Amino acid sequence: MDTCARLNRETIILTITSTSSDAIIVGGGLAGLSAALHLAERGLKPLILEADPKYCGGRIAGGDTIELQQNGQTWRFRLEHGVHGIWSPYRNLQAMLARHNLRPVFVPAREESWIYKRPNGRVTNVAAGSHLRHSLFPAPLHYLALFLSPRFLAALDIRDGLTLLEVWYGLLLALGVDPLREDQPLEDQWLNELVDHWGPGLRAFMIGLTRNGLSGRPVEVPLSGFVAFLRFYSLLRRDAWEFSYLPADGGTALIDPLAKRVEELGGSIRLGTKVDRLERLDGDGLTPARTPTIRADADRERAPVQWIAHSPTGSFTTRSIVLAADAQNARAILCASEDTRSIAEGLYFPRSLPTAILRFWYDTQPKSKVEAGIFSGEMIVDNYFWLHRLQDQYALWSKVTGGSAIEVHIYGPPELLEKPDTLLLALGANDVQTAFPELRHHLIHQHLQRNPPIHTLFGLGRPEQHLSIVTPWPEVFCCGDWVRHPAPAFFLERACLTGIEAANAVLRSRDLPTWPLVDYPKPEAFAGWLEKLMHRGRKILRKKNIGRR
Amino acid sequence: MSSSAQNYLLNLAKLARGDRVLRPLVATYYVTTQCNFNCAYCEYFGARRNPQAEEQLDLDRAMCVLSIIRTGVDSLIVTGGEPLLHPDIDALIDRARRDLKFRHLTLLTNGSLLPQHEAILPALDRLVISLDSTDAGVWSQIIGAAPGLAHDVLSNIRTYAARQGEWGYRLIVNCVITPQTLPQVRTILDFCEEHNLLVSFSPQAVNNWPHYDLLTAQAYRDFLQHLIDRKQRGAPVLGSRDYFVMLRDFTPYACYPLLVPRIMPNGDLVYPCRPIELSGTTRGGRPCNLLHVNSWHEAIRIALREYDSPPQTCTSCFQQCFAEPSLLQAHPLSLLRELRYAASRQGAVWTHAPG
Repeated sequence: MDTCARLNRETIILTITSTSSDAIIVGGGLAGLSAALHLAERGLKPLILEADPKYCGGRIAGGDTIELQQNGQTWRFRLEHGVHGIWSPYRNLQAMLARHNLRPVFVPAREESWIYKRPNGRVTNVAAGSHLRHSLFPAPLHYLALFLSPRFLAALDIRDGLTLLEVWYGLLLALGVDPLREDQPLEDQWLNELVDHWGPGLRAFMIGLTRNGLSGRPVEVPLSGFVAFLRFYSLLRRDAWEFSYLPADGGTALIDPLAKRVEELGGSIRLGTKVDRLERLDGDGLTPARTPTIRADADRERAPVQWIAHSPTGSFTTRSIVLAADAQNARAILCASEDTRSIAEGLYFPRSLPTAILRFWYDTQPKSKVEAGIFSGEMIVDNYFWLHRLQDQYALWSKVTGGSAIEVHIYGPPELLEKPDTLLLALGANDVQTAFPELRHHLIHQHLQRNPPIHTLFGLGRPEQHLSIVTPWPEVFCCGDWVRHPAPAFFLERACLTGIEAANAVLRSRDLPTWPLVDYPKPEAFAGWLEKLMHRGRKILRKKNIGRR
Repeated sequence: MSSSAQNYLLNLAKLARGDRVLRPLVATYYVTTQCNFNCAYCEYFGARRNPQAEEQLDLDRAMCVLSIIRTGVDSLIVTGGEPLLHPDIDALIDRARRDLKFRHLTLLTNGSLLPQHEAILPALDRLVISLDSTDAGVWSQIIGAAPGLAHDVLSNIRTYAARQGEWGYRLIVNCVITPQTLPQVRTILDFCEEHNLLVSFSPQAVNNWPHYDLLTAQAYRDFLQHLIDRKQRGAPVLGSRDYFVMLRDFTPYACYPLLVPRIMPNGDLVYPCRPIELSGTTRGGRPCNLLHVNSWHEAIRIALREYDSPPQTCTSCFQQCFAEPSLLQAHPLSLLRELRYAASRQGAVWTHAPG
């Protein structure tokens, strides 16, 4: 085919697939779906463009179904990106779901254990979660409840005792600085600078928690992200650690009903449409080669800015773009677009990390009744969830067969994730069976899932460098769990909250009523008092420093 | 000492041991799921759902169900739907008191049919009537009825408020706060003070969560603070301070649904609570029918075998019926503090929940 013919063919395809909608949402994860839902509720017709060819939902998407043959019976389990917790401070997410009668009855977390394998091979298993949320001590002293647990103390040694003051210094630091609300990026400060001098037990505990929360090693975790994370999930309130699980995979329990609701309200979703660049139309609303339709003059006046979202399968014209992709994909799109590149190249985008999810089926039950926990120390796996205690499809299977199923997550490092499947499964199974030795020789099935690098390692950039809901480009808005916003929210809640805010920004531009947000809980009284004290101290120090200069 | 009080004390020991299978403080029997109102906020029942109403029992079989409940607890809430639609309700209430010796009997009704059932009033300890607005026009819209009916119920409330002393029951008004009634909800409090009524408040639930428009409304939080303040000043408000603070700040609480077990019209035990039963998951359901067991303890044993012990802190519902007993059971000092309030002393304090 000669070049001219090929170009003509491309033009024809683009013309055919070009459509116009009220707003285009790039990315059908939770943020994009939340934005679409709130726009559709106000009568707009949003179009979601999702890169995945089969499922929307991003990190909370459901996946294919796998089969397990056992005693002549076939059991089916739907895969997902990985088990997620629905934490009690996830208020806007739950309110959104409840408003549409989509909120499932969750499975409350009962206990989380910390499984710590020391270099000498000794393994300690400590029930920790309930100590935090049911502590008799007010926040932020509630961590002291851990020190009343003999098992927790047994996991520590004298060096931990000697560095306790440093640990408390770290907690006080997190109390005194709210990176999100104060726009404090704490540049070039990393978590390792805080925890490196801690005793080995406490350091392992914190690293385990951080890997679970932020999926990185201390040297990779920006201090701003860690402090914001700690404040949201634990530091300021005991009940912030209350959380639940979805009763099924994220697709079945959450995303599929949400996507259906978006469509019921007039939104639409195109799967397999990976947007690779955006194009801003010129002043009169026309672009030379790929103009899909010629608009009437009146339309042109109403729509001073127009954007085209280009994908290999078509181009889509709209007035407003909501960029709801993960951080690195958002960066790729903005840097590939002529109209946004010059600014986008200088922006800060948090890292997006790959993960591996391992699932093991056993023909017996573990002795421990705890349903989930974290690993740290000499183990490659980072956390575990007993699926037969959380999700219905596994619970039914377990009830009939007496078996158990565990899901473990590996958050890196990259060189570990590059290992072949068989080796990763063998190493993972070995870790699981080290923690639960009664499961040795009972493994009946295993599965490895490699997730693309879309897991956010949150950090805060400078205000002028870190994209927030409203971007430097007219009618382009951002949402996602990496987006800058003063609300103290993380992951699913941040995705949902920024999705609502992006929808609000679009609604504002059309003079339509916006959506109010549900407030977050205030710190407990003592934590609030300490926080104020720290703020005053910082203010005095700042004044002194200015005086010296 | 009533078995509810004994169970409260036994539960304290159970909680200290980490046991979540608590004894009931009060049982709720839905004698019928039929209703003659169509309350907009009702998620389960209402006249629009009457064609799907569950099978209800005749008097003898209903008494069998009550006799099993009585082996576990001596406080009973009879509710519906509209319980006065049950053809044998008068006899059922009378025999529950006389034959089965329930010590605390509460009837939850919309009040529209009370004049035809006055005979039951002397058998009751507490009569709870729903009232969501003192404006008959607004209220009739909420209940899906003609304004005349709302007028009649308001008139019934006044009538039976005046007869409290005569027949020995305590009349409680139960108000569901909705976004529509929020602007006038303070008038209910004034109305209750004026007519010597106790009053309880719950937020409208949607999908087991407070209505979004309440959660995001400063006026709703202000009203809850107003309730706390008024109660402290002696207003006849049922509901503990902890409960209202929890609603105001919207914080999770440890829920113990077995404190207030539900029994459906056909005698099915709901385990561990309605929301989980209705979710159709493996964690709850209707493990047995009380007509087929010999005691309350046997019913709970069957339920535990089927579904294991109940969950905790599912942050799934903020209804007074579950939240209030759970909070007061878990915090005995709060219970003692509540005894300062006249309103709390007049209601059975550990069963604040009207229904």
